Amino acid sequence: MIRIENVYKSFGNLEVLKDISLTVEKGEVVCIIGPSGSGKSTLLRSLNHLERITGGRIYIADELVDERLNDKEVSRISAKKVSEICSELGMVFQRFNLFPHMTVLENVMLSPMKVKGVSKQTAMEKALELLKKVGLIDKKDEYPPKLSGGQQQRVAIARALAMEPKIMLFDEPTSALDPELVYEVLDVMKALAKEGMTMVVVTHEMGFAREVADRVVFMDNGEIIEAGSPDNIFSNPTQTRTREFLSRII
Amino acid sequence: MDDRMVRVIGILQDSFFPLLKAGVTFTVPLAIISFFLGMIVAFTVAIIRVTRFKPLLPIARFYVWIIRGTPLLVQLFIIFYGLPTIGVTLDAFVSGVIGFTLSVGAYGSETIRAAILSVPKGQWEAAHALGLSRIQTLMYVIIPQAFKVAIPPMANSFISLVKDTSLAATITITELFQVAQQITARTYEPLWLYMEAAFIYLIFCSVLSVMQSRLELRFGKSGD
Ligand SMILES: Nc1ncnc2c1ncn2[C@@H]1O[C@H](COP(=O)(O)OP(=O)(O)O)[C@@H](O)[C@H]1O
Ligand SMILES: [Mg+2]
Repeated sequence: MIRIENVYKSFGNLEVLKDISLTVEKGEVVCIIGPSGSGKSTLLRSLNHLERITGGRIYIADELVDERLNDKEVSRISAKKVSEICSELGMVFQRFNLFPHMTVLENVMLSPMKVKGVSKQTAMEKALELLKKVGLIDKKDEYPPKLSGGQQQRVAIARALAMEPKIMLFDEPTSALDPELVYEVLDVMKALAKEGMTMVVVTHEMGFAREVADRVVFMDNGEIIEAGSPDNIFSNPTQTRTREFLSRII
Repeated sequence: MDDRMVRVIGILQDSFFPLLKAGVTFTVPLAIISFFLGMIVAFTVAIIRVTRFKPLLPIARFYVWIIRGTPLLVQLFIIFYGLPTIGVTLDAFVSGVIGFTLSVGAYGSETIRAAILSVPKGQWEAAHALGLSRIQTLMYVIIPQAFKVAIPPMANSFISLVKDTSLAATITITELFQVAQQITARTYEPLWLYMEAAFIYLIFCSVLSVMQSRLELRFGKSGD
């Protein structure tokens, strides 16, 4: 589903991703863990062109998303193509980023109508179904700033799902939440994983990673240090850096 | 009451209606038309600058630079007294509209640009991630939020504009201040007449301030 090949990324002189290669299969849940500043967000954001890589290749569903060498485009990617790719990738941000001037329902309906040209009626039916799924049907006419963080994040998940993406990307979806609200979001994500959604989740919730992930990837300082089953990573990490990181956070 | 007082009161009574009429027939239309056209210019320039639309970006920057860097009075003189020497003769009112429109357009574009830039980056990112194009993002996500931010400063600039139209007196437009000057020339009561003119401006601006508060209340409601 996702193929990342020898990806590099620099911000000016700061090299943030160093020769990253990673493949995610259909239906797989991959959790990315690692210290702050290790490049996890940058890697995720490179998949939908929120960041442009400086070198390497990225494929989504066997389609080339970006190919660059020394910060130059090797293959030209059109704006239309980027929009298509984005429609296949749902993204959930740490800070929700709901549209505050629209109701919950309008938030979920916007992109299917504007990007896919779905009729208002169809978009509304789909949106209501998704809001039911994340348990927020009774909030459909509220404005996002009135909701709790956990509720906002569940709306954000519904909004991303409305585009019927093949893959869902989560960038620390629970890091901005009060502890008691973390579970309502994780539960929605678990349900999604059970349905067979392909997911890449950057998270500090080690319990979630252990329970839901098919594979855990440990990143540090722009590199993938170690990847493997949750059991391997959490119980028998082979690398010292992994061990040090885990001992610090658990 | 001495004779002088009686005379002044008589002049003020006689001049009140002509002044008000000049305000309603020239000052207010000049302000409203220039503001409306100026907003269109301001919005266009702001969008060009925010989207960095290559072909027009240098023109937009040059325009803002010129207008903000030169006095409005001088601009009005160039348009009304200067252009005829190269064969472009414009009616005084039209010259005024052009001058004030260009001014509102330049300053307003900065306000609108700032309002657009005040919308958090996360909003652009979320819209992009959903597959919306840049234009769609502006239309459905950014501008509605920027609009709310821009209302108070734009209302302020409209009130300023109403007062600035008094500059139009210098290019022979018979707006409120010009009429006050004419009556003063006849009656030699500058203190009282200019105070009367000031009073009428004050009424106009006070009415606008009340409307501004209503507007802010109305658009400040939904959302945060
Ligand atoms: N837009 C940017 N400009 C410059 N540096 C950035 C930018 N975004 C991220 N960085 C830097 O890149 C590094 C990796 O950041 P990030 O991918 O956010 O890490 P993580 O998500 O693992 O915490 C950090 O050192 C960060 O400061
Ligand atoms: Mg991050």
